[in-house]
Amino acid sequence: MKKRYIIIINIVIVGLILFIIVKYANDRASESNHASIASFEKMTTTTEQIIANYLEDEQHLCDIWSNYVNESADAGTPMTVEEAISYIRKAKISPEISGHLIYIDDGSMKGISTSPNTTNPSDYSVNYSHISIFDNLEISDINGVVSLTRAYTNPLNGIQSIAVLNNVKVLDDETGAMRAGLLLRVVPVSMLEQKLVFLKGEYENVEISLIDWDGDYMIRGKSLKNSNFFEYFKSYNPMSVQEYNKVIDTIRTGVGSMHMRNSRNEDSVIAYTPVSNLNSWFLVAYIPAKELTVNRSIDWILLGIVTMGLMGLLHFNMIILLGFNRKLSVAAAAANQANEAKSLFLSTMSHDIRTPMNAIIGMNEMILRDSHDEEILMYSENIRAAGNTLLGIINDILDFSKIEAGKMEIIDVDYNFVSLLNDLVNMVQRKADEKGLVFKLEVDREIPRILHGDEIRIKQVIINILSNAVKYTKEGSVIFSISGKKCEDEPDHIMLHVSVKDTGIGIKKEELDKLFVAFERIEEKRNRNIEGTGLGMAIAQSFLNMMGSKIHVDSEYGKGSEFSFDLKQKVVKWEPLGDFETAYKNFLRERKKYSVQFLAPKARVLVVDDTEVNLKVFVSLLNKTKMQIDTADSGDAAIALFRRNRYDVIFLDHMMPDKDGIETIKEMKACTDTPNQKTPVICLTANAVSGMREMYINAGFDDYLTKPIDTGRLESMLLTYLPADLVEKAGENGEEKKEPAVVHNILVVNEDVEFLRGVREWMPAHINAAVAKSGEQALAYLKKHEPELVLMDSSIQGQAEFDKDKLLQLCFKELSTEEIISQVDKYFDEGGERREHE
Amino acid sequence: MNRRIKTIISTALAATMVFGVAGCGGIQGTSKEFSPKYSSDTEYKLSVVGTYSNFESLESAIERFYEHYPNGEIEYNYLDDYSNTIVNALAGQEAPDIYVVQPWMYGNEKLDPLFSAAENLADSKLNINLDCIRQGVRWEMNNGEVLTLPVFATSYGMLVNMDIFEKEGLKVPKTYGELKETCEKLKAAGYESPIMGSNTSTTPGIGYTFAYPMFAKTVKDDRSIEADLNNLVPSAGEAMRAPLTRLKELVDSGCIDIDKCTAEIEDDYNAVIMRFFEGDVPMMLCSGDVVSGTKKRESKSEAFSANPFKYDFYIAPSGDEGGYYMDSMSILFSVNKNSTNLDMTNEFIRFLTSEKELGLMAQEKRLITPTKDYSLDEVYASLSGFPADRTVNFRDTEILDTAVKEFRAAAYAVINGEMSVDEAVAGYGSISGK
Repeated sequence: MKKRYIIIINIVIVGLILFIIVKYANDRASESNHASIASFEKMTTTTEQIIANYLEDEQHLCDIWSNYVNESADAGTPMTVEEAISYIRKAKISPEISGHLIYIDDGSMKGISTSPNTTNPSDYSVNYSHISIFDNLEISDINGVVSLTRAYTNPLNGIQSIAVLNNVKVLDDETGAMRAGLLLRVVPVSMLEQKLVFLKGEYENVEISLIDWDGDYMIRGKSLKNSNFFEYFKSYNPMSVQEYNKVIDTIRTGVGSMHMRNSRNEDSVIAYTPVSNLNSWFLVAYIPAKELTVNRSIDWILLGIVTMGLMGLLHFNMIILLGFNRKLSVAAAAANQANEAKSLFLSTMSHDIRTPMNAIIGMNEMILRDSHDEEILMYSENIRAAGNTLLGIINDILDFSKIEAGKMEIIDVDYNFVSLLNDLVNMVQRKADEKGLVFKLEVDREIPRILHGDEIRIKQVIINILSNAVKYTKEGSVIFSISGKKCEDEPDHIMLHVSVKDTGIGIKKEELDKLFVAFERIEEKRNRNIEGTGLGMAIAQSFLNMMGSKIHVDSEYGKGSEFSFDLKQKVVKWEPLGDFETAYKNFLRERKKYSVQFLAPKARVLVVDDTEVNLKVFVSLLNKTKMQIDTADSGDAAIALFRRNRYDVIFLDHMMPDKDGIETIKEMKACTDTPNQKTPVICLTANAVSGMREMYINAGFDDYLTKPIDTGRLESMLLTYLPADLVEKAGENGEEKKEPAVVHNILVVNEDVEFLRGVREWMPAHINAAVAKSGEQALAYLKKHEPELVLMDSSIQGQAEFDKDKLLQLCFKELSTEEIISQVDKYFDEGGERREHE
Repeated sequence: MNRRIKTIISTALAATMVFGVAGCGGIQGTSKEFSPKYSSDTEYKLSVVGTYSNFESLESAIERFYEHYPNGEIEYNYLDDYSNTIVNALAGQEAPDIYVVQPWMYGNEKLDPLFSAAENLADSKLNINLDCIRQGVRWEMNNGEVLTLPVFATSYGMLVNMDIFEKEGLKVPKTYGELKETCEKLKAAGYESPIMGSNTSTTPGIGYTFAYPMFAKTVKDDRSIEADLNNLVPSAGEAMRAPLTRLKELVDSGCIDIDKCTAEIEDDYNAVIMRFFEGDVPMMLCSGDVVSGTKKRESKSEAFSANPFKYDFYIAPSGDEGGYYMDSMSILFSVNKNSTNLDMTNEFIRFLTSEKELGLMAQEKRLITPTKDYSLDEVYASLSGFPADRTVNFRDTEILDTAVKEFRAAAYAVINGEMSVDEAVAGYGSISGK
């Protein structure tokens, strides 16, 4: 993972932790705030109780006064106003409280007071006519409830006061009539406020207000501006009329709290409750929200410490991680170095073993060709078998290293299943024969002939299984069976079932697990004489895994084993395989010693290799072709010949001292003063590691041939690259035919490109086929070339434009390749006859 | 001129300039910012009593004072039946530290304690910057004492719908001639009554608002008639002729439709404002006190909320040379010299006595500032630099209430066709009693 991702993840984690801390703190603070507000509401109701009790007491005292006055009246000894006030003056204890008795029956609202006017100590008269405090009170019939005025100015001393009331009946001493009076117990608001002093201990900034139904204050908190609480609320908390009315209703109808903005636009909390026993009076407790919600603020110091701690931890971890990374980088570099060393070793090993092997196998091939001594031939055959085994081991190691490095790729191509079977049987039959084993072949006749898949790897898998079967079977038989079944879900695919059954030593159940483990060999002691690296099955299993399959093993120890697998392959051509066994038996019957494929006495070939023996091998192997072969032991020597002589094909080694093959070909390509500008150059190399073919083609080579040289491949390659007019047919047993070998040039025309791609593969060597995918392309070709025959699919239109004598139309889809070849041969045979007749 | 004399003269000139620049800074020097005299943690509790049931502009000023002295409390209380209770309050147990005084209270024997209990704000020890108060509203007693601090001033004039004038491409008239011309144009543009007002015999009424400043100017110019006017001598009624004639002329010219005013404006305060906010009245005669009610009523008027417009206060151009600016005190504060917390009370008054604080209070209340700087409230910006020769303040005349009532009644009778100008002039002394 990149460093920045680690940092980002760490920062995200740190951020997450901080977020959780903040959220947790906020949640706790929120809970605490709820508790604080609940507590504040409780305090409000407690305060309301105190005020209610106090006012009730005041009303009670007022009632005592009025009852006394009224009882006198009821008893027939009514008191005059002066007498009543005189009584009250004696009865009241507190000097701050005064009693006012005013007449209400005549609407004058005038009377006398227990206390004198502050500016005139002899004046006890009182006048309420200009003080509108009775508007909302039923003063004519106060019946046992607390009757409280709003806060008003005591007309005698100018002190803000409240008054509780009751009706009294007094005697008018002037007229002798009974008068309806109103007795007011007048209490300074400051006395009521003193009852609330206790709150300061609990809440420093709490302000208690008492408001009436309209929001006018009896007591007003310092912070609440305006003469009316509701007006104040509206002024500083803009809202719609509906919302405003809702707020008023809420305050008037229940107990609770709400947030509001004060005149400084600060968040505040008000708790409200109606005052018991009082109609339309409400207690409103105000407090700045920050006093209640002081805990809500996040503890930034704690958060800072945690952040610093986490950041420190992050940095510490980063330093440790960077240390580890450095070590890992060193280790990775060392591993890469080791891997490169391993690759180099493998490459070198492959090259260095293959180089002498080329000489061994090549020279041995010459012995096999030239010797007639049965004993020598037998020895020589053993050398060949051992050489091939050794090559197999090297190939296995190379393949395994590719698989391990993840460089192995499955390359799907169209392939001829018959050819694949031929190769397999060819290779195994000989080994089986040598061990005296019966090699039995059971091939499903219905298997399509042309399939699409990685032919080479499939071949390798089956060879590995077959080789093992032969290796571990002392006597008895090896049965190789292949069947095919059309895939139902994918109509253009076939599922091949491959099975190899032997009567060999079998595998113990407990050893089965080792079977596919690289370098593990089953019953090592018992089988130590059997050659092998222990890689074969591991490689086979890996290849099959890459192709979506796996090997199934069914074995009985001491009796034999069956290795099988199913492999899905795409079908290119559904033409059935036919009777392969018969065909193969014929093939076996006809299998003979080496015979040269062609003669080319006029052809001139240059071969370049720094190892002299390899040059000898090359020349010897091609001896019977009669070609003119020049050799060069270095790049410079080759370039000198390249400039001087004209060659038809050049074989150039890669790894040479001084100037290697790639440098040499670059110099050759740069040459202008040479007759070989169009001469194909083929890389002849012992370097067989993966990716080499592409590397050589990219470097400018036309083709690639590995050492040790396979004579068949070498000759096939020469047939491909040599000009047809230089090639002659070889006679029986390599003898030169009296007649020169005739290679027929034909043009194959078919719209099926896949068909065209395979043409050269299955056409016999004496037929050199060019291809065209349409009639037009064919005509264009004919303008420049003169093939002896145009072999055309019957579906192609416009045959009229072709020379009828040289045109052979066949329905390719309905014919097998053998039948097509047969038809072509027939054409040329008849043509020969024709020419003879002519 | 020798060199020494030149030096003396130039030094004297420089000194004059420095003092001149000091201007309103007065005792405070050049600094206009309030600088607390006492420790900011001083604890105090002050009470202010007044006639306003709601005194938000004072409470805003108190809030600003708290910024300097946060550990105290200043409480404002409305006193019921103020004129009867304030004296007792001052003598009582919970006497206020600051109380409201109005000009009419002076000379009323019953209310004398208000003035006798008042602190002399001009006392140099108090360091109160009275120089920022306009001379016309600065109430200095004969002995040089200043017992009251004017908080708001008021006047008489008209609210002008500036959007209408802009729309019609007109300028606000400055003289009576221009007024008539403007009214004709407005009538031509479809405004039935270019001027409106409350048809009452009160001070904010049409007749008084338009003609009284002219009457006061007449008295200012000839103080010899003042005594007869105050004694309701019929011959003194001649002083009313010019203003009443101009008033009658205004009505007769069709500048104002009295019947329309009567029908559409029910009272002299709320209805005046709400009718003006309808948006189709170019000029509305009113007092400064009426203007003070506009701010709160803007949101209460659906018409104004839907189609707000710019409006300003102008002196009504009743004279040929221009209108007459009655620069009157509205309310004043006095400090109770017997206050239990006199130092902090004076400190609060010192804080308040600045162009900034008095200006802010006046702006919030939308009354005229008593200071020299009219710039804080653009509604009254037209009053800035008003010619002194057409300005009348309380010191220029001593017209008693009785005479004022006679003029109000005469003006009402003339505009309603109850009396001719001659009858009104002849009937002086007995009009209000009818």
